[in-house]
Amino acid sequence: MDAKTTEKFAFLTLKASILLVVSFVAILLAYIIIQGYEVLSIDFLTSMPKNRMTEGGIYPALMGTAYLVGLSIAIAVPLGVFSAIYLNEYATPTKSTWVIEMAINNLAGTPSVVFGLFGLALFVKFFDFGPSLLAASLTLALLILPVVIRASKEALITVPLEYREASLALGVTKWKTTRHIVLPAAVPGIVTGIILSIGRVAGETAPILFTGAAYFLPRLPDSVFSQFMALPYHLFVMATSGTNIAQTRPIQYGTALVLLMLVLAVNCLAIVIRKHYRNKLKR
Amino acid sequence: MSEMGSVDDIKVEDLNLWYGEKQALYNVSMKIPKNSVTALIGPSGCGKSTFLRCINRMNDLIKGCRIEGKIHIDNKNIYDRDVDVVELRKNVGMVFQKPNPFPMSIYDNIAYGPKIHNVKKNEIAPIVEEALKGAALWKEVSDRMDTSALDLSGGQQQRLCIARTMAVKPEIILFDEPCSALDPISTNKIEDLILELKKDYTIVIVTHNMQQAARISDYTAYFLLGELIEFGETKQIFENPQEKSTEDYITGRFG
Amino acid sequence: MVHRRYKEKGIETVFFVTAAITVLALLFICLFLFRDGYLLFETSSFIDFITGDAWYPTSTPARFGLLPLLFGSLLVTAGAIFISVPLGVAAAIYISELSSPRVSDFLKPFIEILAGIPSVVYGFFGLVVLVPLIKELLGLPTGQTALAGSIMLSMMALPTIISISEDAISAVPLSLKEGSLALGGTQWQTIYKVVLPAALSGISAAVILGIGRAIGETMTVLMVTGNTAVIPGFPEGILDPVRTMTATIALEMGEVPQGSEHYHALFAVGSVLFITTFIINLIADKIKKKYKLKEGL
Repeated sequence: MDAKTTEKFAFLTLKASILLVVSFVAILLAYIIIQGYEVLSIDFLTSMPKNRMTEGGIYPALMGTAYLVGLSIAIAVPLGVFSAIYLNEYATPTKSTWVIEMAINNLAGTPSVVFGLFGLALFVKFFDFGPSLLAASLTLALLILPVVIRASKEALITVPLEYREASLALGVTKWKTTRHIVLPAAVPGIVTGIILSIGRVAGETAPILFTGAAYFLPRLPDSVFSQFMALPYHLFVMATSGTNIAQTRPIQYGTALVLLMLVLAVNCLAIVIRKHYRNKLKR
Repeated sequence: MSEMGSVDDIKVEDLNLWYGEKQALYNVSMKIPKNSVTALIGPSGCGKSTFLRCINRMNDLIKGCRIEGKIHIDNKNIYDRDVDVVELRKNVGMVFQKPNPFPMSIYDNIAYGPKIHNVKKNEIAPIVEEALKGAALWKEVSDRMDTSALDLSGGQQQRLCIARTMAVKPEIILFDEPCSALDPISTNKIEDLILELKKDYTIVIVTHNMQQAARISDYTAYFLLGELIEFGETKQIFENPQEKSTEDYITGRFG
Repeated sequence: MVHRRYKEKGIETVFFVTAAITVLALLFICLFLFRDGYLLFETSSFIDFITGDAWYPTSTPARFGLLPLLFGSLLVTAGAIFISVPLGVAAAIYISELSSPRVSDFLKPFIEILAGIPSVVYGFFGLVVLVPLIKELLGLPTGQTALAGSIMLSMMALPTIISISEDAISAVPLSLKEGSLALGGTQWQTIYKVVLPAALSGISAAVILGIGRAIGETMTVLMVTGNTAVIPGFPEGILDPVRTMTATIALEMGEVPQGSEHYHALFAVGSVLFITTFIINLIADKIKKKYKLKEGL
């Protein structure tokens, strides 16, 4: 085979590979959308499960996920943003930062089920929160902490050094420079990171398995110490250990679709914000 | 050089500076008189910008930078332990090589310093106006104070940065090659402005443009390889340099 | 004046303490995981755990042998890497070297979306589509096999592999490519003989991180691999049901009495998992630092 033919063949293989990846995602999305679409209705979103979860909606699971997202984000965002400020604005990159960066990278690579075990041992048992919204949110907050830190750090790095110099040269302290000049300029990037971690929290199952997710609850959680239902866990139990797996397939498709839409919407929003922001920077 | 008959504002004694292991300034000593323009010239890498950034301690921000020696401003060594760098920088303003307005409105750019320094709200607007007038920018922008400062031309941006510095009411303003990114017309405006400013401020300016130094400065310091080779009245430096290497540089034999 | 300096120092301290929480969290994970895992060895021997070939947690006496779970994880991961590395590297080459900017602008967000899909959705899709398909096509008694897990995991590892490989490929200096093209090499010869070798270290980081991603994935494998805790054959075991370490923890932790031997055994498995991914992360981190690659998805 001469070089030209080899090249043709090789490029064809590359194109086939990317096509395979794209069509896999396309099929997955299309399948869940088509199957779930029939089930989806306002009623499905706003009513309680009925008849031992073989009928009815996913309201408590949807709300449980919303609580979970709210609480985890509220815990992780201040921690993550402050850490990023320390790493990018204050720390000298030789001493303690190496240890912190290593910890962040390792947290990011730790399997989510290990976070679940840790949450069980520390929050549920050691702090005695019991299986609860609080224990699960704390566990998830730790899980997304690396995401928030990395995104915030990325955003802070892109703020031009000249802004900092200009402010410091006016006799403004480092903290006020950070607060009034650096942080506002970094907000779009930080927000992107937060949005991505919302998707992460909404979709994670393993960390909440033993820290507070409930199979079924007749009401919404009334305090942070209550157990809760959540979309991903709901989908998991309905699909693998429900009372009648085959009969409840429509509910499963509906739940999968809602979860998917939620996470995709969040991801798309993040992509749009980042794009908009990049274009603005280019100007 | 008190024999020049004016009050000294900045007194530098035996200043040495290292970036890590590498020494960048050697035993620099000079006295910069009040209400004058002093130009720092020399080939690139000679240490003139480094020296300038010592006067408001901007070099503190550079990791691994070590400084020995003294710089007296108002008879106080700014490298003493009890000196508040923040206060120092309020008193010693700086205008950078590249115009660096904040990504805010024109008004907010100027108001930023006074606001942070807790100036009362109703006093800020007059300060902004005064600063913009002082920087000869008021006429051009008074009708669009709320638009982004980034929409201004390069020359306007640089004058905005000068106004921003003036709004904090310093005594000394340092200019680090303020015209190197500007066109000739904008450069002219900035030069006129600097001549105007010296009535109220002591000005130190780094420039790679010898004509500029000759046009606007009262005193000139010539740096080479981290050493202050010659310092004196601009007229004398340009017409009758004492050192061979100064003459070589000024007559364009190298650099 | 002095007051302000203390305030600035105080603020810096607050930031430092929050940053230190990450380190603290990692230490705590080690501490709590290892402590509860270690308690297993008060009642059964460490050697039995590491070399045991049976995981019968509820028989009497209970047997907690790691090997079936470890090999289950390794088999599924190996299968996933076998699929996703060629696919991912091919996709990365295509995106960075061949596609027009407009196509890349479409593909990159697409890959991010791939990374954003929750693992339970992958698992569900695998369960309702892939598992029956494998059963039909291969005529197996059940479609819940290591193969199903490998295929799903390969898709989930793709974003990591593609994004880091692409970064490594883009980092190859243009001059190197031009050198080859100027010698009359075709574009493919340039990619194959110049670009890929130069990007190899970066790609290896991508592969290592892909392994880490696959070995730690829980919900998907739990839903599609059948969860039979026997040591799988290799490579024919790819068509049998297997049980991974992650799935075992997820499956059994909900049922065990806290503080029991079984409970500690699951923490011991969790410790093994944590140490494995920890080492994988350290190696990948070293490579990424050395070649200044980004974090990846």
